[in-house]
Amino acid sequence: MKTYDVMVIGSGFAGMAATLFAAERGLSVAQTGATGGIDFSTGFIDLLAVHPIAEQKVWEDPFAALVALRRDLPDHPYCRVSDDEICRALEQFTTFLGRHGLCYRGRTGKNTLTLTAAGTMKPTYLLPCTAWNGVKAWETKAPTLLVDFSGLKGLSARQIAEVRKDSWPNLKVARIKFPGMGGELYPEHMAWSMADPARRAELAQTVAPFVADAEYVGFPAILGMTDTTAVLSHLEELLGRPVFEIPTLPPSIAGPRLRAAFDRGLPALGVRTYTQKLITKAACSEEGFSFTAGSGSTSVEIFAKSAILASGRFFGKGLKANRHRIFEAVFDLPVSQPENRALWHRPEFFDPQGHEVNQAGIETDENLRPLDAQGRVFHPRLHAAGAILAHQDWMRMKCGAGLAIATAYKAVASL
Amino acid sequence: MDFFSIGLVLACASAGLGALWRMRGWFRRGAAMGRPEQGRPRPGILGFLGMLGGGLADLVLLRRTLRSPLRWTGHTLLILGFVPLIVLHAMDGVVTRPLFAGYEPTLDPWQFLRNLFGLFSVLGLPLLFLNRYMALKKFSRLQDWTLLAVVFGVLVSGFFLESFKIMSAGDFKRMTDDYFVDAEPEELISLKAYWARENGVRFREFLPTAPEMLELGAELHEDRCAGCHSPTSSAFVSRSMTALVPASLHIADQGRDLFWHVHVGLAFLGLALLPWGKFFHPVATGINLLSRGGSRATDTPKHTLARGLALDACTRCGQCSLHCSVAQAHRVLGNPDILPMDKLADLRRHLDDRLPPDRSAALVEGSHICTECLRCTQVCSAGIDLQDLWMASKKALTEAGRAGVDGEIRKRTAGEWARELASRDLGRVGGTGAGLADRAESFWGCVQCTTCTGVCPVVAVSEDPSRDLDLAPQQIMNLLRMGLKAQTLGARMVWSCTTCYKCQEHCPQGVPVADILYELRQLGAEILRKKEGRS
Repeated sequence: MKTYDVMVIGSGFAGMAATLFAAERGLSVAQTGATGGIDFSTGFIDLLAVHPIAEQKVWEDPFAALVALRRDLPDHPYCRVSDDEICRALEQFTTFLGRHGLCYRGRTGKNTLTLTAAGTMKPTYLLPCTAWNGVKAWETKAPTLLVDFSGLKGLSARQIAEVRKDSWPNLKVARIKFPGMGGELYPEHMAWSMADPARRAELAQTVAPFVADAEYVGFPAILGMTDTTAVLSHLEELLGRPVFEIPTLPPSIAGPRLRAAFDRGLPALGVRTYTQKLITKAACSEEGFSFTAGSGSTSVEIFAKSAILASGRFFGKGLKANRHRIFEAVFDLPVSQPENRALWHRPEFFDPQGHEVNQAGIETDENLRPLDAQGRVFHPRLHAAGAILAHQDWMRMKCGAGLAIATAYKAVASL
Repeated sequence: MDFFSIGLVLACASAGLGALWRMRGWFRRGAAMGRPEQGRPRPGILGFLGMLGGGLADLVLLRRTLRSPLRWTGHTLLILGFVPLIVLHAMDGVVTRPLFAGYEPTLDPWQFLRNLFGLFSVLGLPLLFLNRYMALKKFSRLQDWTLLAVVFGVLVSGFFLESFKIMSAGDFKRMTDDYFVDAEPEELISLKAYWARENGVRFREFLPTAPEMLELGAELHEDRCAGCHSPTSSAFVSRSMTALVPASLHIADQGRDLFWHVHVGLAFLGLALLPWGKFFHPVATGINLLSRGGSRATDTPKHTLARGLALDACTRCGQCSLHCSVAQAHRVLGNPDILPMDKLADLRRHLDDRLPPDRSAALVEGSHICTECLRCTQVCSAGIDLQDLWMASKKALTEAGRAGVDGEIRKRTAGEWARELASRDLGRVGGTGAGLADRAESFWGCVQCTTCTGVCPVVAVSEDPSRDLDLAPQQIMNLLRMGLKAQTLGARMVWSCTTCYKCQEHCPQGVPVADILYELRQLGAEILRKKEGRS
């Protein structure tokens, strides 16, 4: 059986981040997990933008928001990490992505408003460089052409213009046929096809007649898979205008881009990744943890001295629910949850308070070590990170990626 | 006209006519396969010499049979012995006699060599028999065993013939009648005594053994016989075989006549059968090996005639069927035309318009189950570019409207197939079958996220997936979830899936997408097989 220093359970934002941080500290790391959260990401790295949820208060300064949050919600996982740790975690994470072709930028200490596929402006902390020209266009309300494609369901330029018409009247839209493809289009296929410079030239040629006096041109996020910077600058050169991307509805290609960057970068750091394998058996001892990953003939046995549980909530399969209760999937740790099922959801689907079930998760100590039913540390070398942590609603607080990366950093630091 | 003349004329006629028929087949079948696409450009002088070297290495050294040492040894021994026997012995009147002055079959080295070559051949045959019995029994047909039997018969009867000739007093008398006309009785007895003792002739009468008589016999032999007769001991196999016949039996003359007829008769049979069936392989395979120039790939220049020849070059050694990538499909479906060797035979019959309809359907199915993995071409000991034949024949069959179920499916849309298939008694379809596609558990995790479609390379290469594929993978999962299984069976996506498993590996909810697509395809194929009246 292979023995590792750390086993990271999960391959979403928290799992990838924990794996990266542990590997960069020189530990031997094994990672398991299936396709999950990160594949459905918009590519934005939110830190914290909304608090309190019920008031829908949007913060420009995420660190000021963190101060308020730590004061109001003492159980929130962000109370376990310092601002300094958060900054170092984000720095390390985006540096790694930058090395693997995904450039990120933002404003120090400030959230930035960026355009979404729905036409809304989303406050986020760090965003892909391919979206940055969109921020500049929005902030100067510059005349901008938004392009969408016949057959691509994930983004409607007309909808964006309709939603933004009062605050950004200089938006023009064009729906064009994507060169070389017809019928229903899928972002990943389009993005791969953009690797061909001839395809970019065809695209630019089709778009050019619509540009006129527009100072910027926005596209759905389909501009390349691994070579986004080159694709973007080539299009800018061909169109003679700054170009930007708007993430499409999930699954967009932002997620596969992130996953691909980790797929390229983590093995180079010596990480052993067991992709598409969920943990099917786990046993703890004083020495560490024995796991079975996957089932049937392809299952593997792994031993690790420490473990980081970053298995996500329901979509990531870290939590499972039956009609009465919510369970933790690997160690059957106690899960903080509403007393009964009637309290899981509020009557209104879009209730600004969110739903109780979306705060369910596991309890930890200061060092992010999960607690057992008696409130004691479950195992001294088991840590948890990301969405599986209780008392946070990352979707409504706009803190998903930041929380995942920061808690992963803390978990690794506490090993 | 005697037995020999009649036999020779008939055998030559059969061989000649058969060879013409064969060559006509090369042209006709080659043309029926369609014009070949040009592969590699034609080689220059150096390239040609390289190809010649490669071809000769295959032909002379039997390089391609090295995969089975038993077979290589058997073949090498047989060829090493049999070819010289045909050239130097069977055709001695036209080859050996004009080339070597004073040639007599009863002189050494010919007498000795004949035995040596015969021994090589006889030793090779049991090895080939053993190889066929151990490795290729299930692929072997009557003609495979017949060829071995005829060659063995020719060789063994030849040894027996020579053996009885050695013992034959009748032959001795015929010779002395011709060449000892003026001999004294005492001289004849001395010669007989000498030949009985030295050369193994068996006489009925008592012969003296006095030294002076034998000395006289030896002198007479030196004077009158030795010019044409080496000692029969140099026919080391035949002479030894005389011990098999008890001295008390005086059947040498009868045995000689019998084995002469058997030996010559079998040789004529072999000659007559040469252009027919497997008997032709020494010729066709040899030419094919030379024309392939040692290549094991599918990149040599092609010609319609070369294709026709390749179709004839199969030695039915079974290597291709042993190594076929889709042999498992043969085991499940029982269609022999999935395996290259049988498919080749049926392809030939198809090109001759001699294939019955049910076998024709089997050929079409077998052709489409082939994955063109190239393995058969690489292992073929006859150097046949099977891959080229499969690709050409598949194209020709498709052009002739025989594209198989894959082609049939593409003639209609998924909706049209749904109406067609739903109107039949479809058994499991839409029912509560035990397949993955029938179980709610297979799909209940599906959130229609389109990840499967997004990563699908088949969808990616389509310019318009809804036009080319009818339905995307996630749409198929959705239809199944709604219980509309018949709607999916004829979808081009199901029939175009390469089972690369990317969809299944990327599904965030663990839906076995690829397994389901494969199951649907098998079910659709089963229904269409039934439609064709095959089980």
